[in-house]
Amino acid sequence: MAKAKHLMADDSAMQPDPVIEAYKRDLDQSLLRENLQKTPTERVAALMELQRLAEEARRAGQAARRK
Amino acid sequence: MTDFPKLLAALCEGGVEFILVVGVAATVHGSSRLTQDIDVVYGRTDDNLSRLEKGLGPYEPYLRGAPRGLPFDWSAATLKRGLNFTLTTTIGDIDLLGEIVGGGGYDDLLSHSIEIELFGKTCRCLDLPTLIRTKRAAGRPRDLEAVAELEALRDTGGA
Repeated sequence: MAKAKHLMADDSAMQPDPVIEAYKRDLDQSLLRENLQKTPTERVAALMELQRLAEEARRAGQAARRK
Repeated sequence: MTDFPKLLAALCEGGVEFILVVGVAATVHGSSRLTQDIDVVYGRTDDNLSRLEKGLGPYEPYLRGAPRGLPFDWSAATLKRGLNFTLTTTIGDIDLLGEIVGGGGYDDLLSHSIEIELFGKTCRCLDLPTLIRTKRAAGRPRDLEAVAELEALRDTGGA
């Protein structure tokens, strides 16, 4: 019955968690609503743009530290 | 940077049975969090391992973070001997997962996945309730903020 360990029948893992609830208070709901207006492809394309920005920021930081 | 369209095309055009999970699955459901790689749960049949070998082979999969020159053989036989592989390729990073905590393997997750259109390809993505369950089951403190966002998306009416 090792397989049963993987299944998700146990709903106890879905009980409210105080830490998760605390994080929810600070979420940018407008950003989430904006994302939900996009198609899945547009959402992943936006992720790639974010990756490009993060890479450029890392590169700029490294360049600044070398000066 | 990970070229998601090319990686997806390599898997889809190769006929690989896989389900998007973790970070990119969260993005598909509307998450705004940054993720660097693509995580998939793949089918463990011999045929599918061969399809994976052929589909990703041209992009030179190699163990991520490992020094170059190790005797890593990208083959269906290697995939069969292991389960979860953290790989880098010439088109970006990909995690091939035989199983995920709280979700199991491909066959367990298939009925908890949805069909989506992504960059012109049809593929399967873990559904939002199951994504939340598996993130919670992983029990990693760093996932709690991600779970909060996913639950908010669920409550807002995300897919």
